[in-house]
Amino acid sequence: MVLQMFAVMNDIPKMIPQKLIEAARAQQRSALDEQAGKSLLASYGISVPQSLTVKNAGEVDAAMTKLRAPVVVKIMSPDILHKSDAGGVKVGLKSATEVKDAINAMAASPQIKAARIDGYLIEEMAPAGQEIVIGGLRDPYFGPLVMVGLGGIFVEVLRDVSFRICPITRLDAEEMLDDLKGAAVLAGARGRKPASRAAIVDALLKVGGENGLLMTHADDIAEADINPMIVSDNAAVAVDARFILK
Amino acid sequence: MNKINNLQDFTPFFEPQTVAVVGVSTRNTHALPNVFMRRIRDYGFTGDIYPINPTADEVEGFRCYKSLADTPKPVDYAYIGVGGAQIPAMLAAAKGRTRFAHVVSSGFAEVDEGKALQEELVAAARAGGMRLVGPNCMGLYSPRGRITFAEVGSRELGHVGVVSQSGGLGTDIIRRGRNRGVKFSALVTAGNCADVTPSEFVEYYFADEHTHVIGLYLETAKDGRRLFELLRERKASKPVVILKGGRTQQGLAAAASHTGSLAGDDRVWVALSRQTGVVIVDTLDQFVDTLLLFQSVKPNTAQPTKRVTLFGNGGGTSVLATDYFARLGLDVTPFEQKAIDELAALQLPPGTSITNPVDCPVGTLSQDEGRVAEKILDIIFSSGKPDALVMHLNLSAFVGRVKPEVLDNLMAAALRVRDKYPGQAHFMLALRSDGEPNLEERKREFRVKALANGVPVYDEMTNVGHALAALAAHERFVSSRAQH
Repeated sequence: MVLQMFAVMNDIPKMIPQKLIEAARAQQRSALDEQAGKSLLASYGISVPQSLTVKNAGEVDAAMTKLRAPVVVKIMSPDILHKSDAGGVKVGLKSATEVKDAINAMAASPQIKAARIDGYLIEEMAPAGQEIVIGGLRDPYFGPLVMVGLGGIFVEVLRDVSFRICPITRLDAEEMLDDLKGAAVLAGARGRKPASRAAIVDALLKVGGENGLLMTHADDIAEADINPMIVSDNAAVAVDARFILK
Repeated sequence: MNKINNLQDFTPFFEPQTVAVVGVSTRNTHALPNVFMRRIRDYGFTGDIYPINPTADEVEGFRCYKSLADTPKPVDYAYIGVGGAQIPAMLAAAKGRTRFAHVVSSGFAEVDEGKALQEELVAAARAGGMRLVGPNCMGLYSPRGRITFAEVGSRELGHVGVVSQSGGLGTDIIRRGRNRGVKFSALVTAGNCADVTPSEFVEYYFADEHTHVIGLYLETAKDGRRLFELLRERKASKPVVILKGGRTQQGLAAAASHTGSLAGDDRVWVALSRQTGVVIVDTLDQFVDTLLLFQSVKPNTAQPTKRVTLFGNGGGTSVLATDYFARLGLDVTPFEQKAIDELAALQLPPGTSITNPVDCPVGTLSQDEGRVAEKILDIIFSSGKPDALVMHLNLSAFVGRVKPEVLDNLMAAALRVRDKYPGQAHFMLALRSDGEPNLEERKREFRVKALANGVPVYDEMTNVGHALAALAAHERFVSSRAQH
């Protein structure tokens, strides 16, 4: 059920991955926007939340008939890299009215007014789970690297992450998780539900494996952050994604 | 990959029939090229030696030739130690008659103002039809080819193949290695690696039957991708030990993403090690110690090393070593009751600890002139069943108290027991001393005896610990990949 709900989005036509990158380059962008990033992930079979883009509050009612609340609204702008810091993210919205209010409030804020606005992304909220981070990086000598870490303070403060050189094997992916000092958290420490190791390994292979995203686009992607990816007991959903182009 | 081709391609480098030496001086016999020419002659090189000098007829009894194009036979190996700016023209003039140019001169890409000259050098080598090793290094040590740049160096063909990007460190590795018992199949100093890369030598060493263990000192990894792919494909079929310089400096500047800021240069080496089974070490001593262990023992991949027994004199030493080994992921845990009961039945004197670590004061060890050790070791092997046994002797505590043959008897006992249980446990010796010249001399003699019996000898327990942890990591990797 969960898998189906979070299968593949979205309102932009399903594009072949290279086109997403070419489109961003054509617009002189140094990074894929969030929606393009998620389309890229979806094209490699990684689950992303169901979402729609609206131009303004007037399009919200129609959009909300196709989405299941609660939802999150995120500003889409090439000028705003850190959406939360700019007041461009509002979570836990339960109705079309709440979504419209959130969009109107964002549009009125000075920082957002000053920016070019592509629209607003309305996205279903992922079910609760353990936050993890999957990353990618192009090393000048070794080529693409893939990273995994547990979300929140594990990454931010403890830098508890594990890297491998792409392409990784299933065994490499398993060992990456074993390398994490906080690995026990995945098994459900302190009464929490366990997070699916299989779903994380699967996502790591889709990103960093043979024919995975990072190997296929090694010449285009300088850095990647899938942060957070929310892992429940049976699925891993990419809730935010950034791809910085070379 | 093309094992055979690589082996054939590099044979003229490691076993040249003809050697040209560029940079020989008629006035300064201390010039490095002159020294090199004398060294290989003294080392037993029997092929042709061609000093290259445009003006002289003869240097130190060798007939000179004007250029690499003028030698009687084509040149397999050219040692080039002349001012950097002169070299490109010299190489370009070889007209396909030189196979390898080993440029030891510096002033190339290791300094900003030499970057253009290095590009010129590479282009000239290509135009001259040769492969280029270096520049900015010291040369080659190859017992099989009777070539040596180093003042010392055994004539014996060993099993450890090394590539060092630093010339000076290459000399250190040869010297320190020699004194600790490491025997080389070859050692190449490769400097800036402007053309031939470390991976190409690694590929040669994998194919070379004489090389059983590969050691690398790397500062840059320009061909990192190729190294990764090669090592991953070889699956640690020969142990590879990497001493990496500059692991902390090269953090990736100006990372735009979170992942970028978390990377740092070290992470990729850890990844390389986890994915290919190479062992990464931090110091020259660890490098030599680890190569020595791989040279001496056969990795036990069926049962990766975990449980270690310490046997020797020095209670505090045992305690400290137990802690240190534990930090390295090695277990020095007490024996099961059967072994303890059997050791107790020997009724060793008070002060002897028998649970593991087995701590025996000199008085205990010298019982029956050292032969008591045989009984203890037999029980350790048969009932304690460790994966590795470290015998440690504090020489300071023996000297003046017991007859000299006690040490020999201890050693002989250990060897007899080891041979009685073949392949059961790795056996290594730590000979601890306090630096007194007479003890150092005794230690030196003893080390030679042990090495002759295939027992690696270490100065301290920490050295043993690092080498053993590296061996264990290699064994675990091979074991884990065999299951998949």
